[in-house]
Amino acid sequence: MTSVTHDHHHAPASPSGLRKLTAPGWYRVLWTTPLVGFIGLGIVGLIRWAADWDPIWKSGPLATVGTVSFPMGLLIGLGGFDFWTYYASGKRTRPDSHDGHGATSWRDYFRINTDHKVIGIQYTVTTMLFFVISGFMALLFRAELAQSGDQYFNPQTFNVLVTEHAILMILLVIIPAFAGLGNIVIPLMIGAADMAFPKLNALSYWLLPIAGVTFIAGMFAPGGGPSAGWTCYAPLCAHQPMGNIFFNMAVQWGGASSIMTALNFLVTIITMRAPGMTFWRMPLLVWANFSTSLLVVLATPFIAGSQFFVLFDRVMHTNFFEAAGGGYVLGYQHIFWFYSHPAVYIMLLPGFGIISEVIAVMSRKPIFGYRLMALSLLAILVLGFSVWAHHMYVAGMAGWLRVPMMASTLLIAVPTGIKIFSWIATMWNGKINFNTPMLWATGFIATFVIGGLSGVWLGAVSIDIPVSSTYFIVAHIHYVLFGGSVFTIFTGIYYWYPKVTGRMYNEKLGKLHFWMTFIGFNATFFPMHYLGTQGMPRRVADYAPRFQELNAFASIASYLLGASTALFLFNMIWSWTKGEVVGSNPWRAMTLEWQVSSPPPTFNFDEVPQIVGGPYEFGVPGARHAILGSAQAEPVATGGH
Amino acid sequence: MTRGSIFKLFAYAVVAGAITTAVAVFIPWLPTAATRQADRMWFSIWFAEIIAIVVFAVVAAALIYCVVEFRVKPGDTSDGPPTHGHTMLEIIWTAIPTVIVIAITIVAAIVIHDNGKAGTNPLVIKVVTQQFTYQFEYPNGKTFNILRLPKDRNVKLDLSSKDVIHSFWVPAFGQKTDAVPGITTSIVITPTRTGYYPIICTQLCGLGHALMRSEAIVLESTEYDSWYASAGEAPAAAAGGTDGKSVYTAAGCGACHVFTAGGSAGTIGSSLDNLSVDAAKAGEELNDFIRSSITDPDTFLAPGYAKGVMPSTYKSSISGAQLDSLVQYLAENTK
Repeated sequence: MTSVTHDHHHAPASPSGLRKLTAPGWYRVLWTTPLVGFIGLGIVGLIRWAADWDPIWKSGPLATVGTVSFPMGLLIGLGGFDFWTYYASGKRTRPDSHDGHGATSWRDYFRINTDHKVIGIQYTVTTMLFFVISGFMALLFRAELAQSGDQYFNPQTFNVLVTEHAILMILLVIIPAFAGLGNIVIPLMIGAADMAFPKLNALSYWLLPIAGVTFIAGMFAPGGGPSAGWTCYAPLCAHQPMGNIFFNMAVQWGGASSIMTALNFLVTIITMRAPGMTFWRMPLLVWANFSTSLLVVLATPFIAGSQFFVLFDRVMHTNFFEAAGGGYVLGYQHIFWFYSHPAVYIMLLPGFGIISEVIAVMSRKPIFGYRLMALSLLAILVLGFSVWAHHMYVAGMAGWLRVPMMASTLLIAVPTGIKIFSWIATMWNGKINFNTPMLWATGFIATFVIGGLSGVWLGAVSIDIPVSSTYFIVAHIHYVLFGGSVFTIFTGIYYWYPKVTGRMYNEKLGKLHFWMTFIGFNATFFPMHYLGTQGMPRRVADYAPRFQELNAFASIASYLLGASTALFLFNMIWSWTKGEVVGSNPWRAMTLEWQVSSPPPTFNFDEVPQIVGGPYEFGVPGARHAILGSAQAEPVATGGH
Repeated sequence: MTRGSIFKLFAYAVVAGAITTAVAVFIPWLPTAATRQADRMWFSIWFAEIIAIVVFAVVAAALIYCVVEFRVKPGDTSDGPPTHGHTMLEIIWTAIPTVIVIAITIVAAIVIHDNGKAGTNPLVIKVVTQQFTYQFEYPNGKTFNILRLPKDRNVKLDLSSKDVIHSFWVPAFGQKTDAVPGITTSIVITPTRTGYYPIICTQLCGLGHALMRSEAIVLESTEYDSWYASAGEAPAAAAGGTDGKSVYTAAGCGACHVFTAGGSAGTIGSSLDNLSVDAAKAGEELNDFIRSSITDPDTFLAPGYAKGVMPSTYKSSISGAQLDSLVQYLAENTK
């Protein structure tokens, strides 16, 4: 067995004087960002001047290049490319010092940090910040929607709020929140010291705030923000105010971040499992992120393509989707949904993994049908690529295509059903402790069943046609992405909170948070099914007066959701310093992350653990998941303390 | 499982099923179907509804049973029984959903196949959409901005768009399709109930999207025939006409503009009651100002309004004579 003990973390000596301006960090950012940024803009002007194009300074090309060059300057300043530049320049390679690892003060979270646990926290905290921002946008437009007629926002502002709320929730909250939780636990769960590519990992995190800031900057762009909806359908979105260019480019930053993390997860999971950790011994969370990462790597380039093409139509006068120039308008939707449907599974599969962990541990039982649970993830992955056009039943695409798309869409209900039945069978006869994570997991099953059933409806063409693009869709998407994904994110955050912080969250506040969210969520979104079937289209600032009462009800309920989020944030922040200190394994779980101290040591394991059994062998006499070196925390107890 | 626990589980399922059924039956979820196509769609919805109620009741019963019965007793730190799975059970809950979804697929496929049939002699109406209006072109070449349909006849709507993607939806008709630039999309409807129905655009198409509405009127076939025979003279809204007020209505100006004389109160665009003031600000003669503002809307922007809000398609969609009378109408009636 190879020893992985390291000369443990020592912070790099902070540079002084002029070195402050040249060493990686925020002082360097101060001059590299404007330098690289304006060089980019200058090149645009130079080319336009040389080509004798008028005007020399044109907003479209400037925004396109600026949303690349300024962030690149920031990344260069932070030191995101230092190692590779040094390496590529042919200088003598520097031995890896690990001084980018670990965190001893809050400042360590604001630099390029290569420690997967620090990156995981960076990710999770960033996503929660954007959860608050984009949730607040939703509260703003719910205020507008509380009454019919125009009250607070003109249609442009309303459309911007709706667009930004959706895209931020998807690209800056749900997808990266799973990347954050996965970052924290996957290397620990498979017995690895870190991710396969720590420097790539650090870089992929820093692309995320860039994407978020670019999205938000777009709202304030001269002329107006992106207002074509998060789906950004061509040709409308090629004829939008300049903010839409920021939108197109921010998707590129978010997508790149997503792809880099997924590659990292894949390589880590395939190559860095501890001895004895066969695929059939991996925790289901690892299976789930393995499947998700395959989806991300294969599908994400398509949304990047769709946003580039629609941007080119606008800035470079190409005709990908401009009918007048011979373009094919529906081509956009095909490319866009080829990513954005698999994206639904990108936002669900990791959550399925979290739910599997929590239900097994809190029910004190092995996962029911472990292999079928893992295989159903792969089934969803494969089927997920053959269903994109179910978003286009009314789009005017080839009519025959609707039937095969419907068949594969509805078939996804089978592996999804297997998961739900298996979770309930895992709870069956268990010794269930309904603490906060388990409450969230149970609540997730309840709401996700509703979202799943309305999903089966929407998969069936003859049911989808009357309700597509209405509030029924708004209800469905929130049952799946809020009642589904966000509930699993909360489950995961509560479950691993003691591991990450070494302290327990406040249980009473956690449960109150759950009940407020559960009630507020159903009250907000369930009535929307009715609004949709009755004739209220989505994405409208104004609606027929007969929808007044239900909209007012939904708006009031949405404020309960807002209040519950405030409670959650208070609990998280307060418990981080004031919570009760707990041991390494408060849930008595068997997976590896609970067998090391809380928070885990910088390099996770003093010795590579040896895996000897499955991860959920609760109640099996004498069963063990792993054998760790003697220096580790207390061994896991099975069958009671 | 004991007999008592099976009874309890069954009771939960019945209660959950009863509540769900009540929600499904006593809330009038769907508008009354007004076309043969909607009748078939509503059938497929009820088919799936019954399945959904059964599935929901079973899952809810099992989940509630777990929550009630398998709570750990305080102080109990033992584990549950080490059940790893049950092959037969797993086969069952893979097979039954497979059968169910195949059944739904077949029903839905038959419905959309039947709903696509236009018969041998359908009434074909061209629906031309643009920001933020519909125009309905009948076989005799006449164009209207309200859709009149005969009852009990197959109608094929051929949709096209002049600018971005729009959509045609009448909730009670069931059918819906997008109108896409560059291609023609079609739906078939066979109205079965006379009356007035709202036409709604469901695809975000710009700032006036929420106001992109029209009306469908289903007439008895005799009424329809007499209207169709005389069509062109009677309704003032005919876009074929060159009377200034008709052009104003037909071109959909009122969807976005306040104009007291035209009886419109749209808020997307600037008020047309202040045209004289705006013309003075632009330093142009009133008639010239109105004309250039329609054909080339971005040359002078009313304060507070951005470029590109007003469609620039009017210079081609309104004829020269129509434009002249529209300009005159606006100039005479503005304050």
